[in-house]
This record gives sequence, structure tokens and C-alpha cells, in this order.
Amino acid sequence: MNPDQRLQQKIDAYLMQLRRSLGELPPEEVTEILQEIRGHILERTEASGELTEARLVAILKALGSPDDIAPLYQADALLARARGSLSPRVVMRGVHRWSTVSVWGLVLFVLGIVGYATGASLILAGLIKIFDPIHVGAWVGPNRIFDIGVNHDPAARDVLGWWLIPIGLVGGSALLIATTRALRWTLRFARIRRPTTA
Amino acid sequence: MATTENWETQLRKGWLELAILASLWEGELYGLDIIRRLDTNSDLLLAEGTIYPILGRLKRDGLIDSKWVEAEAGHPRKYYRLTAEGRRRVVAMARYASTFLSRIASLIEPLIGREAP
Repeated sequence: MNPDQRLQQKIDAYLMQLRRSLGELPPEEVTEILQEIRGHILERTEASGELTEARLVAILKALGSPDDIAPLYQADALLARARGSLSPRVVMRGVHRWSTVSVWGLVLFVLGIVGYATGASLILAGLIKIFDPIHVGAWVGPNRIFDIGVNHDPAARDVLGWWLIPIGLVGGSALLIATTRALRWTLRFARIRRPTTA
Repeated sequence: MATTENWETQLRKGWLELAILASLWEGELYGLDIIRRLDTNSDLLLAEGTIYPILGRLKRDGLIDSKWVEAEAGHPRKYYRLTAEGRRRVVAMARYASTFLSRIASLIEPLIGREAP
């Protein structure tokens, strides 16, 4: 291996490491980031005259470690994506990120879990009712106030009957959507970084 | 996460944003251009790479724009320039910062050169 190849490999290794650390971002964003950082490295190396390994090491050191730079992209990008996304996974990831720096984020994270879990349970109950209509229902009875789920107590009464299917599916879906919208709306107040002087 | 030892980092970040926006006042620049300007005028940058995520965020906030330009260097450069909103913001920031600095300066001046007990 000639020295040029060794240096090229060093640059590639740095960019690979950065790509790994950027994992959570959309691919096109990652590509653009890597292109910009690669340009930075190339330009620095071209400007340094004859490139030696020591010079390249100094250039990469001045740039900073990929593990230090990548989170700076993620902190903001995760939030930005969450604010614009309809996917519960993406939204909750943004909320989780906020919850690591703010108690409001933490409250929102818990509310999010409750909202999604309730919505998913309703949908699940509606689906299971199709396959096990006898034991699954919305129950009231002497030994309980009200619950939705599996019942083996003959004294309990199913108050919704077959209605559990449409109510569970539609209501559950509506709750999932409402939770996502509420989380997104609240995320606009999230600040990961301190506000600037302006 | 705000810990006691990173107050300096936090402070630096705020000023860094202002410095980046200010550096774009005269016209468009690419990342390394901006770094060179900051380097010669200040010690704001600890790691050069930190400037790129900040540029990304300023862009998302609508304060700057960017475009890729094929350079004679052989690899494309991403040029940044202030938007109209960015221009308004940087002027407001500069005014605020200038007043703020002179007040802080008068407060901290007596402490400089003193020995901590």
C-alpha cells in the first residue's frame, strides 16, 4: 500500500465513523453531511502543501471527533423531523430526546406512552373481539367497575357487544392520530439548546 | 445536557451563531471560508466540525440558504448566504449583543486581575 492510499483510508475511516454516528438521520441528509465534511477535509489537505500522515491527523483533530460532531446534528434534526412527522416512532424519538433535557419533555413522553398504549389496546381489543366474541368485551359487573378485555366471570355483562369492533378500531386509531398531533404540536415549544441572544 | 462544566460551551455556542451570521453579511461563503474568518478573529471554535451542524440549524430556522456549487477544486462546495430574515435577525442580534457586552464589561471589569479567595 502506498502512502497516498493509507491517507485516503484514514479519511474514509473518519467518514465511515461519522456515518455510523449519524445513523438516525434520513439517508439523503447523511449523504449531504458527509459530502460537506469530505469537502472540508480535502480542501484542508490540498491547502497544506505536501500531505503527510501527521498533517492529516492534525486536520482531522481540528475537525473534531465524529462522536462529538454527530450528536450536534442529531439533537436538532431529531426534533425537526419529529415536528414534521406522522410516524409515532419518529415523534416519540423526538419527544424522548427532549425528555433528556427537560422535565416538560419527560411529562410529554409519559403522556405519549399512555396515549399510544391506550389507542393500541383499543384497536387490539376490537380485533380480538372478532376472533373471540364470547370472552372479549367491555365489561361491567358486580366485581368490577368497567374494563375492556378478556373476561371469565359469568356475572359480568358485556355492554358494547359487537360495537366493540368498530368503536375499538375507529376510536383506537383516532386516539393514535390525536396523540401524534398533540405531541407534535407540543414539540414546537421544545428547545434542546439554549435560545440564542436574539 | 446542561452540566456545570459546560457553561462555557453554552456561552460559546450563542456567540458562535452570531459570529457565523455576521460573517455572511458581505456575501456568500462556504463552510471552510466561514471557519477561516472566525479563526482569524476569535477563538470561538474549539472543533471546526461543530460549525456544520449549526449551519444546518440556521438553515432550518430560515436565517440562511445554501446551494451546492461545483468548484474548480474538483469537489463541490456548499455555499451559504443570509436570507432577508437572517439579515434582520443578525442586525437585531448585533445591537443586542453590543449593549449587552458593554453592560457586562462594566460589571466584570473590577474582577479581572483579582485573586479568588
